[in-house]
Formats: sequence, C-alpha cells, structure tokens
Amino acid sequence: MKPTTAALLAGAGASALAFAATPAAAQDLRVFIGGQQRPDVVRPLLDRYQEANPGVSIELEVGGATSELQQQYLTTVLTSQDDALDVFLIDVVRPAQYAAAGWAEPLDSYLGDERDAVLDRYLPVYAEADVVNGEIVALPAFADAMFLYYRADLLEEHGFEPPETWEELMTAASAIQEAEGDDNLQGLSYQGAAIEGANCTFLVPYWGAGGTLTDAEGNVDIDEAAAEQAFGFLLDTIESGVTKANIAEVGTDDTRREFQAGNVIFAINWAYAWNRFQTDEDSAVAGDVGVVPLPAFEGGEPATCIGGWQWAVSAFSSNKEAAVDLVRFLSGPEGSKHLAINASNLPVIPGLYEDPEVLEVNPWFEFALPVVLSARSRPQSPRYPEVSDTIRTEVNAVLAGIKEPEAAITDMEARLQRVLR
Amino acid sequence: MTTRDIPRDETDAAVPAGLRPLPVDDAIERRFKRRTLGDMDERTLGLILLIPVAVLLGLVVVYPVGKLLWTSLHTVRLSEPWLGRPFVGLLNYRDALADPRFRDATINTVLYTLITVPGALIVGLGLALLANLPFRTRWPVRLALLLPWALPLVFAGLIFRWFFDSTYGVVNDVIARLGFDPPLWLTEPSLAFAAICIAIIWKTSSFMALVLLAGLQTIPRSLYEAAKVDGAGPFQVFRRVTLPLLKPAIVVALIFRTITAIQNFDIPYAMTRGGPGRTTETLAMYIHATTLDFLDFGYGSALAVLMFLVSMAATAWYLKHIYGTQA
Repeated sequence: MKPTTAALLAGAGASALAFAATPAAAQDLRVFIGGQQRPDVVRPLLDRYQEANPGVSIELEVGGATSELQQQYLTTVLTSQDDALDVFLIDVVRPAQYAAAGWAEPLDSYLGDERDAVLDRYLPVYAEADVVNGEIVALPAFADAMFLYYRADLLEEHGFEPPETWEELMTAASAIQEAEGDDNLQGLSYQGAAIEGANCTFLVPYWGAGGTLTDAEGNVDIDEAAAEQAFGFLLDTIESGVTKANIAEVGTDDTRREFQAGNVIFAINWAYAWNRFQTDEDSAVAGDVGVVPLPAFEGGEPATCIGGWQWAVSAFSSNKEAAVDLVRFLSGPEGSKHLAINASNLPVIPGLYEDPEVLEVNPWFEFALPVVLSARSRPQSPRYPEVSDTIRTEVNAVLAGIKEPEAAITDMEARLQRVLR
Repeated sequence: MTTRDIPRDETDAAVPAGLRPLPVDDAIERRFKRRTLGDMDERTLGLILLIPVAVLLGLVVVYPVGKLLWTSLHTVRLSEPWLGRPFVGLLNYRDALADPRFRDATINTVLYTLITVPGALIVGLGLALLANLPFRTRWPVRLALLLPWALPLVFAGLIFRWFFDSTYGVVNDVIARLGFDPPLWLTEPSLAFAAICIAIIWKTSSFMALVLLAGLQTIPRSLYEAAKVDGAGPFQVFRRVTLPLLKPAIVVALIFRTITAIQNFDIPYAMTRGGPGRTTETLAMYIHATTLDFLDFGYGSALAVLMFLVSMAATAWYLKHIYGTQA
C-alpha cells in the first residue's frame, strides 16, 4: 500500500507543479465590450491573437447597448475592485475619469523604451486623449466622428446635391418629404433622447455657430448667442416637420434603425452606421446610402464631435502582462485595419486611410481623415458623467418642448460652472 | 479512600475499559454536572441559538446600514480621489435639502406612490374577487394573475415603452384607428407620467391580488350564507363581511406595496430614463445616478438615508392609522 500512496502523492505534487508552471493556466483573459462595438467582428480578431499565442485563452463578454450602460457595468465591477475583467473598451470621453479613479493600469512601464514610438503612430487627437497627466491610460481601438448620411437615390430623384449647409439640408428635406407625400418619411434624424449622443446633438450646431464651452482661462462660459442659434435650429427641425415630433425619445441606434428601414432622408450618426446600412440583411437602403461631412451654418465653419473607443487594462487584473500584450495587438495596425474593413470603424492610424483594402469597402474614408482631424472634443474631466448628464438633460428638455432655450442655457451654465470648477 | 483502592482491580482490568461500570460517585458527579448545564441553558440557550441569526443579520443588515450612515457623513467621491475621504458631518444632508433635483425627485416619488398604491389596490381587489369566484377551472385565472407578478420589472418597463411608443406603439395605433390624433406619450411630461403609472399598476396589482386572494379564502363561507339568510344584498355583504375580514390582508399588502413604490426605479428607468428632462425621475433613480454615474458615494448615501426615512415614515403612518384603529 505504502508505495502506491507515495507514488500518488508524488504524482499529484508533480502535476500541481506542472499546472502552476504551464503558462496556459495563468493566461486566461477576459475582454469586455458593448453590444454596439460589433462582438461578431471583434471575436475573429481575438481568435487570430489566440492562434498566434498558444496558451492564451480569451473570453469575450458583451454587455450594454449604449455608452452609459457599458459604463455602469464597468463601474460596478471596478468600484468593487473585481479582477474578473482584464481588458475593456472605454469611450473617448472617459480616460480622465479612469485615470482619476485608478481603474486603468498605466501602460508606460510596460511599453518601456517604445512608449513614444507607440503613441506616435496614432492620430494626434487620440494620442492626446489617452494620455492623462503624462501617463498612458489606454490605447485607441478605433476613431469616430459624426457624419451626415443621406439617401442618394432620393436626392438624385428630386434633383438635390448633398447639402453643405443646414439651410440647404432643411430645404432639400422639406421638398423631398412633400414630393414623396409619405407621412412616415422623416427629413432628418438625430439623437434627442437624454443619452451621451445628445451632447453632440447640441455641441455640433453650437460649435458651428462659433460657441465654445470654456473661455481662454478654462472657465465655463457659454456663448448665449451661439447656444440660442443651436437650439433655434434644432427646434426649427421639429416645428417644420423635417424631424419627427418625438425626437426627444430617439437614441443613436434608433436613428440607425429608422434610416436603415428607409424612413429617413438625412441622418446624423457615427461611422459604424455605414457598415450596417450597406451590409445588414434587413437593410432597405443598401446601395442607396451616401455620406458627407456634417453641414455648416451659412457663412460658418462645419464642426463635428470626436468619438472613438479605447482599449484599457484593468488595474485589478491578475494578469496584466498578458493583458497589455493583447491590448498592444488590438490597438496596433492589424487590429485597426480589421475593424475598419469589417465594421467600418474609422482607423486610428493615419496610413490606413490610404490602404486600398480599407478603401475598397469604405470608399468614403478618403474624405473622413480631415473630418476626424478637425473634429472637436467634448470637455475632458474626471467628472465628465456629471457634465454629460447636465448637457444632455437640458437638450432633451428643450427638444421635448418643456423648457425654453434661455432657461436651459442658464441652468446648463450654472451647473457646469459648479462641476468643472 | 477512592474507588481505585477497592480490591477488585484485577478482575476489572480484564474487562475492556468501555464496558466497565462507572464508579458510583463519578456517575453522580456527571448527572449533577448535566443538571447544572441544563439550568444555565434556560437562561442562555435562547441567546446561543440566536447567534447565527444575529451574525447573519449583522452581516447583511446592520453592517451595510451602518456603512451607509458612515459614508453619508463623509465625502467619498471616486471621481476625485485626491479629495480623500474627510468627515464632513451633515454637509451632504444640508446639500440634499437645498438640491432642487432631490426635491423634484421626492415629489415625483410621492406622487407615484399616491397614485399607484391605491390604483393597484383597487385593481388588485377586483382581480382577487374575480379569481375567488367559483370557476370550474381556476388555473387559467390564477395563471393570468401570477404572470405580471412573475415578470421582471425591467421587462414590464420595456414592454410598456413599446406599447406607448409614439410612432410604432400599439396604444397610438388604436388611438389612430379610432380617428383621434395620437399623442406623444413619452415626450409630453404628464402623459409620460400617466404611462408609467399605468405600467406600474398593471405590474403590481397582481401582487395585491395574490395577497388579497389568500385573505379572501380565509373568510368562512358560513358568514356569507348567514348574511344571505338575513337578507343582505351583494353590496352589503361586501361592505359588512368581506371588507372588514379582509382588512388585515389589505394592510399587509399596502405596507409592502408602499415600500416598493417608494423605491420605484425599474419601470420609469426602462420607460423614460427620467425624461423628458427630469420630469419623471424618482428618488431611487437620482440615487442611482449619483452613485453609479457620478461616483459620488457620500452624497448618494445621504440621499439613500433620506429615502429610508421616507419609507419609515410611511410604514409608521400605516401602523398607527390602520393597525391602531383595528386593535
């Protein structure tokens, strides 16, 4: 009996040692992204990494259809310092908050000598957004900006060119709506629900009218004339019937769905919508979609909101080395190109805008680079959630017709001054 | 002299130790010991048996509530960790009382409670009376009663959001077919509020009905028969027999329903997110936004303590006014 027991013990000990020494056991990574960021496209990219790195096994967790819902889940996991997640995607407005809360592992020490070289390959706006107080909080996954999508078939049929000003857009939309005589056909769809996108719904015409949120010293100072022009334009879209009356209920993906169903002439949306319009099986508009930079006010400059998502490593990950390596792959040229081709996610690396394979699928990326380069950032702050909540709620109240623009502007300014002091 | 000195030691040694009879004075000593232990039990057994429950309650009730109170007296803002976690006394409470958003959310919560609790009671009582009728096959009625109760709140909210969708909803479809102008349910504040109340009453009246149905079934049939013999009409029977005997069940149902109504979150969150503007925001939604979105746990805890006080006040009122008169 004794020899058998001893042998068993020895075997168990040996296998325990072997278990501990096998890298596979230590390299289970869990990646979290939102439903909007195309898990069907991200999964093959993770598979490619797994093939190149035997012993690494990656699980993809998907949750949250909007930026705020994703954020709420991550907040729950990260405030409890849970090590369940290793890598996650964060919105371009979040790095300051993640750095302040200590949720994202700073990547500088892992990158070592390559730090500056890694940062230099990205579009400058993202290299800036992801560095907070000199530390790299995350690396960019894909770029984004708001564009104007239009029904090329309807514009051609009724003899309109893609608009360069909001005034032209209103004229064209009204004329086409009237000529088509379809009550369900909306002239323009944008985001009026109190979601993250509603900030851009206000900021785009506000910036276009020459407004800025802060003065030269960085103090909150809302340009009332510009804000009134912006709200005036938005309310005009509702009063004229170009936008549907319940625009205050419309979120980002509602705009995408309604355009895709053929019920919208012009839509303001992010880059991801292009791929859905052209390739989704239920798309009623495939082949009839055009996209141009957002219009300007007559005599003004166009403006757009910068978007995009970043790969971050959890500060509570028990496997940071492996996680950083994965993030370097995902944010590298191969990852960016894969997302550009398969999900029409705008590349974060300038050279990819001239890549023939990318351009074949997304011919409009040719003019997208200058748009992304000139796109403007929403305010950066560790208290961004409060900034966002303030702007989007006031915008929603004005669009629902329950608050006068002047009152909304006053309240917005007062609240932002307290939050961004 | 001890028992060991008795000269039968040798024979005892041959018997296995376990079978050896105990020496007499040892046995007496043991019995005596057992009796004293028993006496102590009478005083402490209850307490000893309560320890597991006390520990459990301490972990899941006292600790979190204590932590909540502690947090509410401090600045705990994860978005600005450099502030540290200083003790600020009642500052968070003072801020809350001056905060118009807190005031509006409290008013909304009270309004929801005042409308949906009686609403659910009336609908639930009707359902319970229906389900208590002598059907031949009762299970379809009982199942229909159970379904809304078993449905997760968020699902109910999402379903009703689609019902009330201005463009695609079934409610506006019916209104349009009847030849009226379909209203913008979730864009117009008062309509959004009404839509939320309808969803809440639909969802919660089945819980009311279940509790009341259980109450109805405890009322002896003989009382109804006696009332009939005395010539009472159906309304009189309901007023003089059913209602008084159902009162304990109604009070229990009301207390439970009121507390959950004060904590109202899921349905308005799924239907409007508090919009348009903040016109349908409840206290629980504001607490959720303060803690999970803004990461301001100190202020959020103070708001939660205030909401707890509102719940306590409502429960105390019930106990005083309804139980009090009954006793």
